[in-house]
Amino acid sequence: MSSLAAPATLPGSSSPAPASTSASADRSRSVFPWLLLAPFLLLVLVFTIVPLFGATVLSTQQTFGPGTSRFVGLSNFRGVLSDPLFWTAFKNTFVFTLGSVCVQLPLALCFAMLLNQPGIRGKTFFRLILFSPVLVGVVYVAMIFFVLFQKRTGLINQLLAGILPSWDVGFAWLDQYIMLALILATLWQYMGFNMVYFLAALQNVPKELNEAAKMDGANWWKRFRHVTLPAITPVGSFVVLLSIIGSFQVFELPFLLLQGSTGVDNKGLTIVGYLYQTGFQSGDLGYASAIGWTIAIVLAVCAGLQRLLSAGSEVSRGGKVARGGGAK
Amino acid sequence: MPAPKRESVTMWTFARMHADLYRPEIEAWNDEQTDSSRRVELSLIGVQAMEQRMMSAFLAGLPSADLIEAERRNAARAFAGPLESVGFLDLTPYVERDGIMNRVNAASFKPWTKDGRIFGLPHDVHPMMLAYRADIVEAAGIDVSKIETWDDFVRVMRPLLFKENGERRTDRYLLNIWETQIDLIEAMLLQGGGGVIDASGVPVIDNEANARVISQIALWTSGAEPIAAEVSFWDATGHQLMRDGFVIATFAPDWMCNYWRKEVPQLSGTMKLMPLPAWDKGGRRTSVWGGTMLGIPRTAKDPEKLWQIAKHLYLSRDLAHKLYERGDIVTPVSEFWQDDIYDKPDPFFMGQPKGRMYINLAPQVPDRFSSPFGAIALARTQSAVSQLCKVARDTKATNIDQLMPKAREFLAAAQEDAMRHVNRNVFFADSQKAAEVTP
Repeated sequence: MSSLAAPATLPGSSSPAPASTSASADRSRSVFPWLLLAPFLLLVLVFTIVPLFGATVLSTQQTFGPGTSRFVGLSNFRGVLSDPLFWTAFKNTFVFTLGSVCVQLPLALCFAMLLNQPGIRGKTFFRLILFSPVLVGVVYVAMIFFVLFQKRTGLINQLLAGILPSWDVGFAWLDQYIMLALILATLWQYMGFNMVYFLAALQNVPKELNEAAKMDGANWWKRFRHVTLPAITPVGSFVVLLSIIGSFQVFELPFLLLQGSTGVDNKGLTIVGYLYQTGFQSGDLGYASAIGWTIAIVLAVCAGLQRLLSAGSEVSRGGKVARGGGAK
Repeated sequence: MPAPKRESVTMWTFARMHADLYRPEIEAWNDEQTDSSRRVELSLIGVQAMEQRMMSAFLAGLPSADLIEAERRNAARAFAGPLESVGFLDLTPYVERDGIMNRVNAASFKPWTKDGRIFGLPHDVHPMMLAYRADIVEAAGIDVSKIETWDDFVRVMRPLLFKENGERRTDRYLLNIWETQIDLIEAMLLQGGGGVIDASGVPVIDNEANARVISQIALWTSGAEPIAAEVSFWDATGHQLMRDGFVIATFAPDWMCNYWRKEVPQLSGTMKLMPLPAWDKGGRRTSVWGGTMLGIPRTAKDPEKLWQIAKHLYLSRDLAHKLYERGDIVTPVSEFWQDDIYDKPDPFFMGQPKGRMYINLAPQVPDRFSSPFGAIALARTQSAVSQLCKVARDTKATNIDQLMPKAREFLAAAQEDAMRHVNRNVFFADSQKAAEVTP
């Protein structure tokens, strides 16, 4: 600390500081930021870098019980890619992701636009209502939806039987349509969360642009398509990426809804569920690690695509603005 | 600050009833000990949490509790790998030295045995019977003594599926079993002479006995005239359906009696027990569901002292009686089976001598084997059952012969899939080769 407090040498000073003092100050200046960063770097090293390295090593090993492992090269990855159950899990997870992104995000945007309309009363109340399911733990969400989708006593079947007299109250939603149940449960829980992102983005859309478009005769759809949507695209693509990552990691909800099983004909098996099954139920941590890396690679590709698309749309918007500017 | 040095013995259990039972015994044991290192501290830990702690300690080679009471599925995970990597201490020398094998029901050791070595002291036998709504059955004038096989069961009980005007009831089924209840499916496979794991720990899913059992289950649950339905054992909805008589009969290992006594006391005086109907005349009249062992981790210090505590808890007559009185669980110590306590009439089951009925079936309890591939084998078998149920629904099947070819096909696929995991396991392949070489 004392080196920072030392007075700087003025140009043309008759008594220049000795070279050794200057070098020491430089050294301190270069070391000090690292000292400040050290706690964070240490945490990252211990809890991110080392586990990542460990997981990489583990994915090339076969484990079988405590203290037993052997190097198997890329055999775990070959096993994963030729494992029909992995592809079943991948397909299920993909369907869930598609359902979550394609249903949840448009709905979240719709609600955000509704709540962004001027003159709507009770906005705060509705925001709270729509956002509050996020505050409910996944375990409770699973319990609520487990009761709702019960065979004979569940509200869904009772309601449908009330509307359609021929409806079979014994219909097994969780056996036949587990992915639909998962998508609905996730929609209920996270729609409000995504709505808040869109709401923040919508509030940052310059009003002048919308007003100018209106004066130019643009209808609602054209204003949405050419003004609002481009303005919220960066936030939108970020929300899409977050949803994809979150959806690919789904585990707790199907695990709890299906009470630890993977459902009829593995319809509720997700990738992370399969990772758990192989790693923690069968004790093959190497194989589980290979599954984990496979998900990581898929998600990295998704993130890369998102960045490419975002960059593309930025360039395209930038080009349009430049061309528009030139026309003026 | 360094952690204080632990002197007493720590023990983990996952079941509240077990903890309630052991606490007074442990207090009495502790009072007798002059050496503080022989005092026992008991912790009740959730089953999942205990498994995670146990496996983390085993994988890291770190100490856990000194005594671990583990449920069958959890314990099986610790049996993966070569013998020297099993997290529990090999108790075979102690069991042989103290002549425990002669005192305890042989089948009760099987789930805790790997390659002929015993890693746990058995807590129970868990024979299974069928509990039925005697109030409904007797009111209909049905005589259950005529039931010997599952075919008899369906034939004799069938009138209960219909109203007086001949219309089929939608609010009553004969049996509580469904396609995703893998514990029950496994119990039925074992009763039928099948099972999913053999003595060497290898999946043996694809066989005639299993095909027959799963075909029957598919026919019962999903055929043209289903007789079975789902009534969850563990939630209020299921309890209400039980009270409503939605299913006439349900599977009842001994521990289930205690669960009903506590969770659905309204069933008291409405139910009776009967041995499971056999798959063939003269066949096995029981099966098994659940199981617990007491093990000593390999890292524990002073195994001899821990072995003495384990014996005190699991092999004492007094505790065996309390286990039955408070937990309805029959001890695996066969020398206590003649005790009068098991002949007491149980008012919950309309005065039946429940303990004696379970003990009479105990010697028939099928062997079952632990394997790290057990979870995979069961999961694949369950998939085969689901596929077969779909076929039964789609084809409106009326007899098991229609389903048998498909059952074999689905079981063969399940076997192939499970074996893919076994075959890619280099350690398992090594141990199998070693077993072939060693006579």
